[in-house]
Amino acid sequence: MTHREPAHVLLSARGLTKSYGGPPVVDRVDFDLGERAFTTLLGPSGCGKTTILRLIGGFERPSAGRILLDGRPIDADPPERRPVNTVFQSYALFPHMNVFDNVAFSLTLRSGTGDIAAKVARALDAVHMGEFTNRFPNELSGGQQQRVAVARAMVAEPRLLLLDEPLSALDRKMRAHLQVELKDLQRRLGIAFVYVTHDQEEAFALSDIIMVMNAGRIVQAGAPQEIYRRPASTFVADFIGGASLVSGHILSATADRAIIRTALGTFEAPARPAFTQGEPAVLVLRPESLAPGRVGEAVPATVRHVTYAGQDFTVEAEAHGVVLRFAAQEAPEPGATVPLAVLGHKAFVTAA
Amino acid sequence: MPDSRQILALPVVLLLLVGAILPLTILVVISFWSVDFDAFELVPGFGLASWREILGNPTYPYLIGKAVLTGGVTTSLTALAGYPLALSLLRLPKRWKSVALVVLLTPLYTGEIVRIYAWRLVLGTDGLVNSLLMGLHLVDAPLKFLLFSPFTTALALFYDELPFMTLALWIALERLDMRLVEAARDLGARPLPAFIRVTLPLTSTGLCAGALAVFALSAGDMQTPNFLGGPSGATALASIDNFFGTAFDWPTASALALTLLLTLIVAAALLAAGILRLGGRPARVAR
Repeated sequence: MTHREPAHVLLSARGLTKSYGGPPVVDRVDFDLGERAFTTLLGPSGCGKTTILRLIGGFERPSAGRILLDGRPIDADPPERRPVNTVFQSYALFPHMNVFDNVAFSLTLRSGTGDIAAKVARALDAVHMGEFTNRFPNELSGGQQQRVAVARAMVAEPRLLLLDEPLSALDRKMRAHLQVELKDLQRRLGIAFVYVTHDQEEAFALSDIIMVMNAGRIVQAGAPQEIYRRPASTFVADFIGGASLVSGHILSATADRAIIRTALGTFEAPARPAFTQGEPAVLVLRPESLAPGRVGEAVPATVRHVTYAGQDFTVEAEAHGVVLRFAAQEAPEPGATVPLAVLGHKAFVTAA
Repeated sequence: MPDSRQILALPVVLLLLVGAILPLTILVVISFWSVDFDAFELVPGFGLASWREILGNPTYPYLIGKAVLTGGVTTSLTALAGYPLALSLLRLPKRWKSVALVVLLTPLYTGEIVRIYAWRLVLGTDGLVNSLLMGLHLVDAPLKFLLFSPFTTALALFYDELPFMTLALWIALERLDMRLVEAARDLGARPLPAFIRVTLPLTSTGLCAGALAVFALSAGDMQTPNFLGGPSGATALASIDNFFGTAFDWPTASALALTLLLTLIVAAALLAAGILRLGGRPARVAR
């Protein structure tokens, strides 16, 4: 990320709100998207992330607030007048056109687009679909359709490409493969991507910036490491990375560290925001913040479930009424009591 | 061994045989007979007099051509009006859709003769439209072309057949994935090009169904031109009716009926083929 030049703001949302009569689906959202940045909207289903994409694409009109492109409001512009293209979740390939005609669609609508065939060929080659020009969408696999959808959107040379859970319908292996391809493509094209997903692994793998959403609001925005290491709320901590949350209260705090007393004991850990003494707070324990078998300040924990996860085992254990998840090299017996050390420097204290 | 399931096709075969092939065969046979007008009897035989009359006298090809034209015009008008109407019905909230469906079909419950007399009340010299136009001083004398003209026939047929077209298009549009239209807009198509290149081809089967129904109903309508068309209201069907009835010339009636039927079938087939071509090359079946 460090090689990236300071990004010019391409698109901004200010107080963006959408409601369909009931409670807002998107609620006073603000963000800036940098040129060339890969931004991901991450959140559970129904959090409003797809609605934000549709607002940017021009398929929905905001109930309140504005969207600005290069500082100019574009809310009155219909989809066809926005330099933005979408890769739809269902791909939305035109079933009555073959691959070539699908990709050429945007070029045939404008005059002076030059050599259409050459542009289509280049776009299809970029997604490794050059040999499929005569196929119809129903003759392609899900992964192939996804590639054609990307080619069709990018051949229009958008300033911003919107992708609505483009990989969710694919199997795990294909998904991982296409993640790499998408990221690679984004780097080569040098255009901004906004990617919607509910899969945090996918978000981590692809994004420069992740915006975590809940109930219509962006609850945290930042680089993936930032989101993982310093979750701004228990929602983010819980949604990202299978954390164990232990509530407690602050004994003492500095600007970015805190000492918290919990049912498991008293720990010193990085913290945000700046806490005051006696304030309730939550200790976020990632699997790597817990080390089984350590002697010393270990907590005795009763093993509940053991799941084989390939390179190690995921263990769910209970200590002082708190459920803790951690990784172990060898599988403990369910019901057994294991000593478990809490590594304060790998934990985080966030607001309750 | 004969497949026992083949027996299930028997009712359809019987229906076709008794309901279509047999009557048509009778028509074909009678068209070669002659009439003894002194005895008022049909004389079996093989003569070409009736066919010579139908194909030789320019009146009948003209009437048949008029039927095709009437069908074509009505089909085009209903399609042009049906799409906007069906698209607006599509956007109704779910509970209003059933209400809209009933409203859409209401004219069909009233019966053709009732509608015809209603048109007379609306379009006549002292009718609603002329009274209104005169009252507003938009015209000095009643507009004569409103009633008993080709315009009246076209208007009444358009009104009568619009529900069939709208219904067929509505069903087709309900099955259309609206994201495809959004995708077209997203890729730079303004509303009309998006309609022409995506909505129209992908609803072409619905349009075809609607067009075939409207074409058959309007090309084969006798009452509306007869009672509303005035001097222009002559139809091939009225001639057939006359030949079979008053004139007692069954051979000529049969020849005219067969010619009309064959022409309309060919026209309808061409119409259907043309519409289905809008849908583009059919995709080959997936591997």
